[in-house]
Amino acid sequence: MDDQGCPRCKTTKYRNPSLKLMVNVCGHTLCESCVDMLFVRGSGNCVQCDTPLRKSNFRVQLFEDPTVDKEVEIRKKVLKIYNKRDFDFSSLREYNDYLEQVEEIVYNLTNNIEVERTKQIMEAYQRENRDVIQKNKAKLTREQEELEELLLLEQQDNEQRRLETLQEEQRQLQAKRKNKQALLDELERSHVPATILLAQHKDRATQLENQIEKQKQVVKTTIFSTGIPMGQTVLLQPVARIAEVLYSYKPIEINTYGPPVPELEQLGRLGYLNHVRAAQPQDMAGGYTSGLACHRAIQDAFSGLFPPLG
Amino acid sequence: MKLNIEGLLVYFPYDYIYPEQYSYMLELKRTLDAKGHGVLEMPSGTGKTISLLSLIVAYQRAYPLEVTKLIYCSRTVPEIEKVVEELRKLMEYYSKEAGEKNNFLALALSSRKNLCVHPEVSSLRFGKEVDGKCHSLTASYIRAQRHSNPSLPSCRFYEEFDALGRQVPLPAGVYNLDDLKDFGRRKGWCPYYLARYSIVHANIIVYSYHYLLDPKIADLVSKELAKKSVVVFDEAHNIDNVCIDSMSVNITRRTLDRSQANVETLQSTILKIKETDAAKLKEEYRRLVEGLKEANVARETDIYMSNPVLPDEVLQEAVPGSIRTAEHFVGFMKRFLEYLKARLRIHHVVQESAPQFLKDISEKVCIDRKPLRFCAERLRSLLRTLEIADIADFSAITLISNFATLVSTYSKGFTIIIEPFEDRTPTIANPVLHFSCMDPSIAIKPVFERFQSVIITSGTLSPLDIYPRILDFHPVTTASFTMTLARTCLCPLVCNLRNPQHGAFWEGGEGPVIRNYGNLLLEMSAIVPDGIVAFFTSYIYMENIVASWYEQGILENVQRNKLIFIETPDAAETSMALEKYQEACENGRGAILLSVARGKVSEGIDFVHHFGRAVIMFGVPYVYTQSRILKARLEYLRDQFQIRENDFLTFDAMRHAAQCVGRAIRGKTDYGLMIFADKRYARADKRGKLPRWIQEHLTDGSLNLTIDETVQLSKHFLRQMAQPFKQEDQLGLSLLTLEQLQSEEMLQKIAQIAHQV
Repeated sequence: MDDQGCPRCKTTKYRNPSLKLMVNVCGHTLCESCVDMLFVRGSGNCVQCDTPLRKSNFRVQLFEDPTVDKEVEIRKKVLKIYNKRDFDFSSLREYNDYLEQVEEIVYNLTNNIEVERTKQIMEAYQRENRDVIQKNKAKLTREQEELEELLLLEQQDNEQRRLETLQEEQRQLQAKRKNKQALLDELERSHVPATILLAQHKDRATQLENQIEKQKQVVKTTIFSTGIPMGQTVLLQPVARIAEVLYSYKPIEINTYGPPVPELEQLGRLGYLNHVRAAQPQDMAGGYTSGLACHRAIQDAFSGLFPPLG
Repeated sequence: MKLNIEGLLVYFPYDYIYPEQYSYMLELKRTLDAKGHGVLEMPSGTGKTISLLSLIVAYQRAYPLEVTKLIYCSRTVPEIEKVVEELRKLMEYYSKEAGEKNNFLALALSSRKNLCVHPEVSSLRFGKEVDGKCHSLTASYIRAQRHSNPSLPSCRFYEEFDALGRQVPLPAGVYNLDDLKDFGRRKGWCPYYLARYSIVHANIIVYSYHYLLDPKIADLVSKELAKKSVVVFDEAHNIDNVCIDSMSVNITRRTLDRSQANVETLQSTILKIKETDAAKLKEEYRRLVEGLKEANVARETDIYMSNPVLPDEVLQEAVPGSIRTAEHFVGFMKRFLEYLKARLRIHHVVQESAPQFLKDISEKVCIDRKPLRFCAERLRSLLRTLEIADIADFSAITLISNFATLVSTYSKGFTIIIEPFEDRTPTIANPVLHFSCMDPSIAIKPVFERFQSVIITSGTLSPLDIYPRILDFHPVTTASFTMTLARTCLCPLVCNLRNPQHGAFWEGGEGPVIRNYGNLLLEMSAIVPDGIVAFFTSYIYMENIVASWYEQGILENVQRNKLIFIETPDAAETSMALEKYQEACENGRGAILLSVARGKVSEGIDFVHHFGRAVIMFGVPYVYTQSRILKARLEYLRDQFQIRENDFLTFDAMRHAAQCVGRAIRGKTDYGLMIFADKRYARADKRGKLPRWIQEHLTDGSLNLTIDETVQLSKHFLRQMAQPFKQEDQLGLSLLTLEQLQSEEMLQKIAQIAHQV
């Protein structure tokens, strides 16, 4: 990559490590000092292809191949207009066709094939789809959203982990400090020989260490992809089957202590319905029929007419 | 002998059996019965392989519908050959005992390099060259072109195999690599493709880990293997590292330059094809519009093992429109490459997560996540369409496209680290982008999901519970077996070479310790017969120590007793040193081999009998903890699996230490000293992580010894071991006949061997 150089002044990266190559819309390279020199007036023609250029459009060349720089530039511009999303289409097939069309436009513009016609197509598209373009401008694509979400999650995880370790360390430090203070206090006050106190302290210290060690090991048990926590033994025998008699449904029998009530369907035929108010069309909308009220009234009237004796 | 293991008739090809083998088979049978996964640890040299093979073969014969296939994964080619030999023995025993000719087909599979019989291709030196050359002769479109143009070169073995080989299955029997080659030569068939074709109906396959774990290879070789298979990972103590390596991608400046060249080739090929054969590109385009339906159907009907590089979403959707046509895709790759190049042009280390990377890439070069996800699949399709013969040339761009797919698929479990230079040479710019997998469970997940039983076994798997955690699976059995011994043939000693009056090593107190190390080696060289193997923690450390020994005149004194050989990072030099070391052990006073833990010698090379009478482990072989990749992995383990950094580091160091010292004991008639020359081994956390069969013999009396005490104990041990030892001494204790095995008392004893976790 050191042999990259300015085509005009022939300076290379090797000779001048701080060389900055610039590229404009036509995809031809110039170094920064040449740009400053040639475009003093703010605009001019490309040295290699004579395209009229503006100085403000010069950018630092990111890639080794300047055509890629040019393509990316064009692509960004095209994608600003062609910003439909996959849910703007009824089928995946159409979306893919659309993507291909976009690609075709970018390809043509980059390789200078039918530039005028392509530009016309773009303009026509822009006019036709002004609303959609405006609407989609602010929206991220679904993929971008997903990515953002993942990044956010990652960040949160890291933050949480950092806090946890920090807290843990602090807690340990505190415990140790407390232990030390306790030793000093005891040495001050107690009448027991110092060696014994020291031994006790050492004991406690190791206990503390062990505790910390244990705590570290207790941290959440790993759960397998099968959903079974690590370390749990699993019985391989099949679960014992409990045999029981199957439940069978029996219709309940209700004794009404009265004459049999006619069926709902038969009410009309038997003439009961002649004596109740006919249902209005607005009642029928809710599923009401005059038979319902009539049936209920008859049930009420008949039940308990022959009370059981004794 | 014929054994009855919980009602299963097992043919065991030897007259005697070790009690722990019986116990091992019991546990294995229970695992297979439960159709679950298992973790089993049994000391090296107690016949793990034959126990595994005889039980699983018996199981396959008894329940042919329950277990259809055994997939035995091992690490190296010699180990694969060893397994096949054991299998051959077992099969011979079967045909002798059962009388009938059994129709078992067992075969080993290795790379083209080891299997090719084509005279020109097989003479190439590197595996990659062989693969590339083979591909250029046998790819389907090359062969199609040959129809119109017969002058193109071809591989007659492949042609012959393609014409005839698929009709008749490989005759039953046991085939190692050489057998396959012989068979291939005799028939004129390509042994490699024959083996690959035959694994579908073979009963037993023996091959390397990578054929199952590396997604690129597994997709080619192993995806059609039946669900009802038993997978065995032997020597699996390093399996997590294999998994991680298979999913990680390292991108250097060179890779990018080569991919740049690849992209240019692609571009010119596309142009050429457009002029001559535009229909082909159209056809591809049409297919991509339709989506990857075929692959999806295959996965849904469960024919294939899933591939972590080919995410499910990719299969269900069509290729996004932005990379559908070939030119657009090439432009896309160009942008991606330029972006990576720009990222590599940095002066400080950057570490970021996959979402951060994706956000940045979409801001800088407008590349969305979705097309990235399809990158690997799209490139494969393009390469196929363009009919590029020499795929090997395109490894760089394939790597980049795999990286693109992985980075956009997995938001967790991976990290991206960009280092502008190596730690050792901070002035030389050599930027590397490590896309590092931190979760070994991603690579191995398809294996656990697909196969009904996966057995992970090795001589050193302690502590057993860490493997299920880091590989994220749920074993039905985890057991560790001890070695029953008629005499204590191993003698682990922990000596303390750091006197209290010496300062700590960072205070410059290292000198006396080095001298003490030297004295220990000197004393041992005087009393130990034949070979001694000494392990250091790293090459640099070894060089320093050997240099100061030389200055102190220790080396000279040692050389009066034994010859000294040194392992170097160079493989050829090391194998030379090993050869000469063995020669020296055969003759005269023996020799000392100075080697490095985690090196070639510490893994996979056995020092049987007089080749290794003592192993000295200088220091604790911690891994280089300053590496950023390791740090990231430790962090991940802590957050995801609640494994603390220290625990993992100690676990890793101890498994390597155990591997090193385990080199000395390769059987029950063997004996050896194991000297841990560092007092840290005496601490409970390290001691507890040694395998149980070593821990058992590590009494309080053998901890914290001075050099004199060590020499005393060693002398005593060696004198005891020098007494004649016959098979009769072992019989009934650590070696059983069938009658002895069936006695009530012995069965009770056997029940205690397995230590359930």
